[in-house]
Amino acid sequence: MDFLDRYRDIVPDWEAFRAIQSQPLHSSARINTLKIEKGKLIERLNEQSVPFKCLGWYPLGLKLELESPGKLLENLLGYIHIQEELSMVPPLVLDPKPGERILDMCASPGSKTTQISAMMKNTGLVIANEPSLGRIAALRSNCERLGAMNVAITRYDGRNFPRAPFDRVLVDAPCSAEGRERRGPGVIERNNCKRSLGLQVLQIGLLKNALRLVRPGGVVVYSTCTYAPEENEMVVREALKEPAGARKADGTDEANRACENAFCRGESHFRLEKVAIPGLRQCPGIVQWNGVELGEEMCMAARYYPHINDTGGFFVAKIIKN
Amino acid sequence: MAAVWHSRFAISSEVFSGYSFFRKANSIWAMTRAELPRLSYEAIGMRIMNCKDRPWKPTTSALQVFGKHATKNLIHLQADSARIFLEGKSQEIGEDSTMNCEPGYVVVFYRGEVLGCGLYSHGKLVSQIPKDRRMPSRESEDIS
Repeated sequence: MDFLDRYRDIVPDWEAFRAIQSQPLHSSARINTLKIEKGKLIERLNEQSVPFKCLGWYPLGLKLELESPGKLLENLLGYIHIQEELSMVPPLVLDPKPGERILDMCASPGSKTTQISAMMKNTGLVIANEPSLGRIAALRSNCERLGAMNVAITRYDGRNFPRAPFDRVLVDAPCSAEGRERRGPGVIERNNCKRSLGLQVLQIGLLKNALRLVRPGGVVVYSTCTYAPEENEMVVREALKEPAGARKADGTDEANRACENAFCRGESHFRLEKVAIPGLRQCPGIVQWNGVELGEEMCMAARYYPHINDTGGFFVAKIIKN
Repeated sequence: MAAVWHSRFAISSEVFSGYSFFRKANSIWAMTRAELPRLSYEAIGMRIMNCKDRPWKPTTSALQVFGKHATKNLIHLQADSARIFLEGKSQEIGEDSTMNCEPGYVVVFYRGEVLGCGLYSHGKLVSQIPKDRRMPSRESEDIS
């Protein structure tokens, strides 16, 4: 796990951060309000003596002290959904409202999609996009099991998703998944800079298109489950340089310099809004990495480390289009 | 389509008033009414009926959403028979549970909640719960 060494300067209490990687993560689940009320669900779990605790920071979140929570009847009936604790954060930051039109750009397997549906009380429209054909079945299955009736599934490359506008767009991007080490050991060992930089190209493309697709005044949330700044703050910084509405930067040095200067002067068409979830301790996004300035604004993003709240790892940025 | 649900389960068409319906190949889909952008879709809303054979089969997911309004062709199970049903198996059902069900698809309830779809005929109930949503079989408690 030497790859974690690169984060010594940015992660507080690095030793504890490293140590917790080998401790398995507890199971967690979200109460699916599309099908059941919280009170009724808790009653059912108590009746069956299922060991659980409510998450302090999210009233619909549960920590389950079971080996195979997927086999619980409540899960099979769609009353709960087994979902990693921190993956419940991006939809809360997105804050979709009933009746809105939302795009979930990288939707499979549908944990966040269905959470969005529940927050919208099955009204409005959620387009759940998943580019990989092999992952569509899982997405459909979860949407149906959880009773999501306001979801339509598409299969576009998110970088070219064609139509707009959306009130809000979630880009929960494919990433090197370092934050998932506690769920499936070995992820970090397989990781390297080259891989991150390869993913970065895709991530920038996804976020740039999301920023085009959202309407003025709308919200884009960019999230990953990795710690690499190459896939987090650097992606956000690069994507925010492109003027709103531009299909493609013309690619000349002059055009790029003009974008960069505008961004530094704060004339961007976008602004970052502070991410904060009461009860969940976070670290700010980093403003500098390997000698490169990333912009003071990046501190508005949130980094969640596993040793801080006993979770996995996540990065979340909230962007508003002016 | 609403007529099918009404005639089989006595579910009023008003229950479907907030939804749009789509037919694709051998299935009917329902989705919350909304303006759909012109895109190519893999799925729209929830698949609610399989129309490949007669009679048309309501899906488990659809019955879990709409089945609570049924007042006809429904079965209330007790704990043991509910378990068998959820394991995806078939069983004999006494007449007192069946409440004059006609042969065909029925809404299966346990403790007032819809479990899913069953196929009923002459005292026999065949579970239609899809494989990926079945409860694991309980190991036999008889130890020799």
